[in-house]
Amino acid sequence: MSLQGIIFVDILSVGFLLLILNLVRTKKLNISYAVIWFLSVLGLMVIISVPSLLTLLPRLMGAVFPASALSLLAFVLIFLTLIFFSVQLSAISTRQIELAQAIAIKGLLAQEEITGPEKAE
Amino acid sequence: MNRSVLIVIPAYNEEETIAAVILKLQRIVPQYDRVIVNDGSTDNTGKVVDELGERQLILPCNLGYGLALQTGLKYGLIQGYDIIVSMDADGQHQPEDVSNLVNALLTSNADMVIGSRFCEGQAYRTPVSRRMGQLFFSYLTSLFLGRRIYDTSSGFKALRAAACEVVVNGIFMDFHIETIVQMSLLNLNIIEFPITVLERTSGRSMHSVASVFQYPLKTILLTIAVLMDVLLIRRIR
Repeated sequence: MSLQGIIFVDILSVGFLLLILNLVRTKKLNISYAVIWFLSVLGLMVIISVPSLLTLLPRLMGAVFPASALSLLAFVLIFLTLIFFSVQLSAISTRQIELAQAIAIKGLLAQEEITGPEKAE
Repeated sequence: MNRSVLIVIPAYNEEETIAAVILKLQRIVPQYDRVIVNDGSTDNTGKVVDELGERQLILPCNLGYGLALQTGLKYGLIQGYDIIVSMDADGQHQPEDVSNLVNALLTSNADMVIGSRFCEGQAYRTPVSRRMGQLFFSYLTSLFLGRRIYDTSSGFKALRAAACEVVVNGIFMDFHIETIVQMSLLNLNIIEFPITVLERTSGRSMHSVASVFQYPLKTILLTIAVLMDVLLIRRIR
């Protein structure tokens, strides 16, 4: 990649890193997700900024063109990120279910404490 | 043998049928306790249940059949019931069968009795697509368990507290084949008992068109996950 291209990508990446930091600062992005994005952008910056890495990586991966190696890496990263998000969503969903069930059970138990359990004979 | 029995009835928008179900239960099996799990109903289900003086667990949002039932089981365990019976709110299950299921549980060494629509040559009519699915899952139980369970998706079941613990703590969706496989692999004994099921007269079935495709896939995945879970636990132990 030309020097001009590297500078362009680095500026974009720094902007993206600042955006992530600002989202964390304003409590719009959870720190766990921020770490993933931060590492991804930093990794991309390093690979693109160090020319030897850009030639070494396709060779290690058996790719002919650096661009296809980078695309594959990006695809793997996006895939992993999506799985991570699914896990996080599932955890939130489980907590929401447990919370809803606890509200229902505690509500009835509290009501029974006031009125007494109407157990059948 | 004096055992405390709780009937758990998950209900979602069942204002047209729930009153008849409760009144029949009050008349036919007054010796058993009941709790209605109001699964975030948007109609008058909660009001009808209140007017009949029944206990209800009010879920703040709709969780779906399996999780509503799980809420009832959790409540039953907290309250220390020995036997919990699950029953649908749509009026298809007959209150007369509650005693039959409980007796079948007490007189056998079973941990769970499934009220079955298909065992002993019964001919309950269902749409072809659903019947094919039921047959498929029924044969799947022979593959996993070495014996066939004819009605894997029945909502009418009686369980001992030990079996409820498995449902409450296990991997769980609709309390169907995944639970049957899990219980069997944990050496809990499951039997079937023939019941009479009426056609649904009002309200809407919980099975949508999308569920025709989703349900089998989800169930198969979950059953494999349950199988893995139980086998891994056994290996660790």
